[in-house]
Amino acid sequence: MTDSQNNSGVVEPRGPKPRKIMSRRNIILYGTLLVVAIYYLIPLYVMIVTSLKGMPEIRLGNIFSPPVEVTFEPWIKAWSQACTGLNCDGLSRGFWNSVQITLPSVIVSIAIASVNGYALANWRFKGANLFFTILIFGAFIPYQIMIYPLVILLRDLGIYTKLPGLILIHSIFGMPILTLLFRNYFTTIPEELFKAARVDGAKFWGIYFRVMMPMSLPIFVVAIIMQVTGIWNDFLFGVIYTKPDTYPMTVQLNNIVNSVQGVKEYNVNMAATLLTGLVPLTIYFISGKLFVRGIAAGAVKG
Amino acid sequence: MISKAQLERLFVSSVMLAFASLAISIVGIKPQLFQNIQLLFLVIALISVLVLGVQSKTIQFNANRLKKQIIGWILSSFFSILIWSFAQKDVQSIFPAIKGYRKALNTLEPVAIYLSIVFILFALILAIVGARDSRLDRPGYIERTLVYNLSSKIAAIPMMLTSVGIFIVATLWTVYHSFTNSRMLPKSEFIGLAQYERLWNSDRWYMSIENLAIYGACSLVFSLFIGFLLAALLDQKTRFENTFRTIFLYPFALSFIVTGLVWQWILNPEYGVEKIVRSLGFESFVFNPLYNTDIVIYGILAAGLWQGTGFIMCLMLAGLRGIDQEIWKAAKIDGIPMWKTYIQVVIPMMRPIFITTLVIIAAGIIKVYDLVVAQTSGGPGISSEVPAKYVYDYMFSAQNLGQGFAASTMMLVSVLIVLIPFAYLQFGRRKYD
Repeated sequence: MTDSQNNSGVVEPRGPKPRKIMSRRNIILYGTLLVVAIYYLIPLYVMIVTSLKGMPEIRLGNIFSPPVEVTFEPWIKAWSQACTGLNCDGLSRGFWNSVQITLPSVIVSIAIASVNGYALANWRFKGANLFFTILIFGAFIPYQIMIYPLVILLRDLGIYTKLPGLILIHSIFGMPILTLLFRNYFTTIPEELFKAARVDGAKFWGIYFRVMMPMSLPIFVVAIIMQVTGIWNDFLFGVIYTKPDTYPMTVQLNNIVNSVQGVKEYNVNMAATLLTGLVPLTIYFISGKLFVRGIAAGAVKG
Repeated sequence: MISKAQLERLFVSSVMLAFASLAISIVGIKPQLFQNIQLLFLVIALISVLVLGVQSKTIQFNANRLKKQIIGWILSSFFSILIWSFAQKDVQSIFPAIKGYRKALNTLEPVAIYLSIVFILFALILAIVGARDSRLDRPGYIERTLVYNLSSKIAAIPMMLTSVGIFIVATLWTVYHSFTNSRMLPKSEFIGLAQYERLWNSDRWYMSIENLAIYGACSLVFSLFIGFLLAALLDQKTRFENTFRTIFLYPFALSFIVTGLVWQWILNPEYGVEKIVRSLGFESFVFNPLYNTDIVIYGILAAGLWQGTGFIMCLMLAGLRGIDQEIWKAAKIDGIPMWKTYIQVVIPMMRPIFITTLVIIAAGIIKVYDLVVAQTSGGPGISSEVPAKYVYDYMFSAQNLGQGFAASTMMLVSVLIVLIPFAYLQFGRRKYD
């Protein structure tokens, strides 16, 4: 992280002068960071606090005050009773839909993209880079321009508004960034290993399964994290390529909270919002540095 | 007389052109014409195979050094014929189990026929090429295209299909249909620029563009500024760096929907910030960005910045870590204050990172949709509409496809304006490296 670790062979006093803890610089530095951190944490705090209050308390108090009487009623209601349109079985339906969408999409998209990245990195053929360039361009083009032809395609295949259709869509649109991720990683693996495997007689798939895949577990974990959070958080594709029965969680959440009928139950809304955010947040807090690495790798182009 | 190499090139290019015309006919642009063109190219391919066969005077399937390949292509052809036959009504009446997939099979039918013909042609041409004793001969164009590195090419098929078959074809399809009067269903009747005229005469589109401009400009400036500032603060060998970074980045893991709903709640005038300030004694305090048509977009901006700045900070932090530490020592020796070093040395050094970040933010801004839907649904009135929402509403709610296509084409154009110079810079730079 710092240079002092890098050149540890040098024998001279190094590093900054020891500083007082309460120097003016430190107060400004940590003061600013603390204020910003509080600003970032407020929405999470408000969500949690609101979801634990009863409706009367919300009407009387303010949104920042901690709950006087902690109740889990809103959570239960959000999970199993909140209404969207006609069906009133809560967010649980959306949750299971999202699970059914996310798992296969993640597996399919990563399987395809890793093989693609491997082909691009180690078995380059003429014209491969052209396709790759188009693919990367596709990541930046607004999805809106490709939405409708894909509706027609899915309708022709008979999977429009069904879960397999959405899985296909996620696999397609996950491909650019994942292929880039894998290609960049595989090019950093020393070529000697690849050559040695070839000399030993391994072919395309043999090298992939026996050499490349075992060596690149971290990047697979990064890709899984990226895809799970990305697909779980998706709204646009969910709202276009599914119908109320198969809505993923985000779409259902939006419908519950922004429905115009009935009395607004803010505590239930916040509980539902938290429930939806819980999956990516859990992944984020568990994965820590890998998450950061994933977004940085997805962002920094060749 | 045409040489062998020319014939081989003719074969491969006519197969590819046949595939292109098949794709065009499937998309629905003059299907009859392009099917005929496809047939024409297939015939040309067949003729070139025959001429090659006549020239080399041998067609040998057995005792051929490319035997495995030939068998493989024949098997693939067999499978495509199988798929094609499943799409036929007679076969379906024999095996009723297939009927559930009828729609998918009908879509695949033309491709299956094409593939079965092409694969047979491949097998034929390999039998011709591989029959000659070519120990001294350099392997021809056909062999290099069809045999060498084949696994890699097969593995890259999903990528090719996605990049060309979906990204390019779908984009062209939409651009083409933005010049038609499609309403409920896409039509191919050409009406020129009428959709664009209507688009640019629509108040709602102007509002969308204006909102996007405000949102885009502000979020570019603020997220770059705040992101860089936070990264610089965290780069001072700060303690608890990881904790702070975790806190700043967590909103990025959340869905835009979740972000939008939380901020809708915080900015709620009845219960949120406005009420709290009023209860402190400022009775006339007004702060209801989501219900005021003039400033609603800033309410959305607040939520967007809350979610996205942590990400920018991470990119900036990575950039700062890439700066040579000797720079700081040199600056210190020269007695240059830290803020001046940042502005005059470090930021110019981080130019590539800034450009990349800029493009990422810009590409993200134009896609803004979920946040608006969750926070305001475009309201009050039309005061927080954005182009992405315009496209969605016209395509799927207002049943006016032509408008949706025209609007999405405008979005594409604006992205390309940003993207092409960037790509040019990237590729240009690589040349000189």
